[in-house]
Formats: sequence, C-alpha cells, structure tokens
Amino acid sequence: MTRLVDVPAQFDDRSFDQFAGAFSHALADGGRLLFDAHAAEWASPYGLVGLLAAGQAARAAGADAPLLTVPTTPDVLSYWVRAGFFSAAKDLFEIHGRVPRGKPAADSDVLLPVTAVRAAEDVHEVVGHIQQRATAILSSELGIDPKATMGFAMALSESCQNIVEHAGTGGWVAVQAYNWRRKLARRVVVIAVADAGVGFRHSLEPTQAKRFGERWGDAAALEAALIQGVSRFRDPGRGQGLAGIRRYLARWEGKVAIRSGTARIAIVPRWDDDVPLKDGLPSFPGSQVLLIIPEQASGGGPSKQ
Amino acid sequence: MIPHIMVQAVLQQSVSGLYTDLVTRPTGRAVRENIERELPPGTIAVMDFTGVGCLDYSCADEIVAKLVRDKVKVLLLRGLTDSHRDAIEPVLAGAGLAVLCERADGVLEGLGATGPAPALLDELIQRRLAARHPGGSIRFTAA
Repeated sequence: MTRLVDVPAQFDDRSFDQFAGAFSHALADGGRLLFDAHAAEWASPYGLVGLLAAGQAARAAGADAPLLTVPTTPDVLSYWVRAGFFSAAKDLFEIHGRVPRGKPAADSDVLLPVTAVRAAEDVHEVVGHIQQRATAILSSELGIDPKATMGFAMALSESCQNIVEHAGTGGWVAVQAYNWRRKLARRVVVIAVADAGVGFRHSLEPTQAKRFGERWGDAAALEAALIQGVSRFRDPGRGQGLAGIRRYLARWEGKVAIRSGTARIAIVPRWDDDVPLKDGLPSFPGSQVLLIIPEQASGGGPSKQ
Repeated sequence: MIPHIMVQAVLQQSVSGLYTDLVTRPTGRAVRENIERELPPGTIAVMDFTGVGCLDYSCADEIVAKLVRDKVKVLLLRGLTDSHRDAIEPVLAGAGLAVLCERADGVLEGLGATGPAPALLDELIQRRLAARHPGGSIRFTAA
C-alpha cells in the first residue's frame, strides 16, 4: 500500500515539522511512500535537502524506491532543476512528472546547487566552488567584507563535515542567496545541509548520555554539541567546528538552527523571533542544519562577538 | 638548521586532488603526518602558509594545534592571512596553546593563548634566532 506524504506548498524550515510529521506517520505505517510535491509553490534550500534526506530514509527503510510527484507550476519546477534537486533526487526517488532538462544556471542566485557530501573530497569540491561563486554576492549584495568570504567557506566546510564525521551516511548541501521579504526585507545567503544518518543523540550517546542522566535526549544532545561544543571524540581538539560557525554568525548577525530527531536548537539573532530550543517535534532521521547570513545594515560593520 | 615547512607544497603531496584549501580532518591529518616525518621532536620550526586558500577550524586543530601540543617546541607561522588567523587563534586559545606569528613587517607576535607566548619569544632570543629591536619589537633573525 502506498502512503502519501504531502510536501508543503511553502517548504522551508518553518513548515519542515509539518512535513516531518507526515513523513514519520507514513513511514511507521509501512508500505511505499509517495512524496507529493505537485502543489509546491516555493521551496528553500533547507526544504530541498530535507526532502532528499526523507527520500534517503524511505529508501533505507523499504525495498521499493519512494515515489515523487514533481511540482506542476513551471516556474517552481524550473527552480528545482536550477537548484540541482533532480540531479540528486533521481538516485533516490521514482520520479513522476516531466522534469525539464537543464543544469544549475551559473548566473543565478544558486551559489551552490544541491551537492552530495559523502567524503572529505566532496567538502574540498564544495569549498572550492563556493569561493568562486560567493565572493561577489557576499561583498556587493550583502555588504560583507570580501575578506570574510573565507569565513563563509570555513562555516560551510564545518557544516558539511558534520555529515562526513558523524552521520554514518551521505547527505546534501545547498547554498542560495535570495530576498527574504517575510522576515527582513533584506537579502540573505542560506546554507542548508541535511542527512538521514544517525543524528546528534546517537552520535554523542556513548560519551555524553551518562553526564546528562534522565535529561538525555535529542534536545540535550543538540545543546551539548552547539552550546557546550562537545564531540563524540575524546580528542581534546574536537568540537571546534560548530563553535567556529557560531563565532562567524555572531560576527555577521547570522542564524544557525539544527534539527535532529525530535528537537531543534537555534542561536537566534535580534532580527528573528525563533525559539532557542524546541523538543517533542515529529521525529525525523539524521541532522538538518540551517545557516542564514543577512545583508548587513548600511554603515554597519561586523557585530562584536 | 631550522626546518621551513611550505604548507601548500605539503598539501599537494598529501592529497590526490589539486587543492589549495586546507579543509577537513582527514586532509589535516594527512598534512600533519607528512610534516611530522621530517621533524625531530622538540624542534623549532617555521611553517609558511603562503598560497593556502581556506583554512578551516578542523585543519587548524589537526595541523597547528597538534604539532604544538605533541611535536614542536616553538612553531613560527608566516604567510598568514586574516582568515587563517581567525581559524588558528581560537583553536589554540581554547587548548591553552600558542605559536609565534611573523607579521608582514617582520615583527613577531604571539597567536593563541596569551600565557605561553612570552616564553616562546624568549626561547628564540636565547637561541639567537630572534632579536629585540629598538622600540621593543622582536624580529626573527634566522633566514
């Protein structure tokens, strides 16, 4: 029996919990999953890589490849193609609907199309690519010091390495610039990274569960990783990556949010009204990371850390 | 003879792709292991980052912090960009470690934890590898 998972019309980090709820119910029911994106009107990079992670998890759970109906609106479909979604999706889903041929456009706001991350070599490719594409947009459109482009590449590298080092499976990353009318009326650059791997709780459990006792769970694991900088490795130099991401985002008034399992943690800048920690969310495998760097207010330099 | 390590060249020898960025733990580990082969323990070494693009925190820890912690007595870095410093400084400071950094004008300064840096400068002066100049600045004298 086929189980339906609706892809939200506006598919981003805000609607992701709705998607995760539908996904976890459908997965628990068993049978083949059908991801229905025909009514999709817009998807953020977070939505796109999250959908791939769901496909990865569905594929791992069942014998048949999950089904995916493509968006019917030509503009939306065209964007998903330019964002590189279907290049990754064809290996995970049985795709229903006509997908136009095309490659991610070099002149678009897609700074990095959806890109698979499985090993260190992939991170090298991602970092090399982003430096070519991002410098102009970060400095001319977001008002970020050109020298800070390298910090952006560092944050991207560390985000991707969470997959390589901790997920136990592959994942995807995408980077895009767009006008964020809803929140800021400013340009933003968004980095989205997702996998359907073991997640933070499982990764940290052997070294951290005892310390947290009854509090141990997805929320505690995220808190340990992002706020306390702990790592599953006993090597004293570990845990630098997320701390470095936090420093970079604090400097540019950016936001980081990480969802794993049933919890989501965020470092919330002044311009956002997100909550710092949510627990008891619909379960979703692996980890999903969102970094947002906003256009700098005119005349403003970096924030003090 | 003080070992001079050209990090970009070691990177090219250590990984199969033609990368200029020092990113990821495995890359950092490969580069450090290549460097360690040529370094006797407790040595003073110069590490030149000229030509290195992005340096992430993982590589900063895997290469610089681990060499300082486990292998070298004094590590002098040159050819650093601001972003290289941004990666190295917190990694060293968090571990209570420090290196010396040669600025573009030749002046040496500590990078990382503030505590150990004066002793590193004194070590170079005692070994006549650095000299104090009028005004108090200290410069490396060994080529």
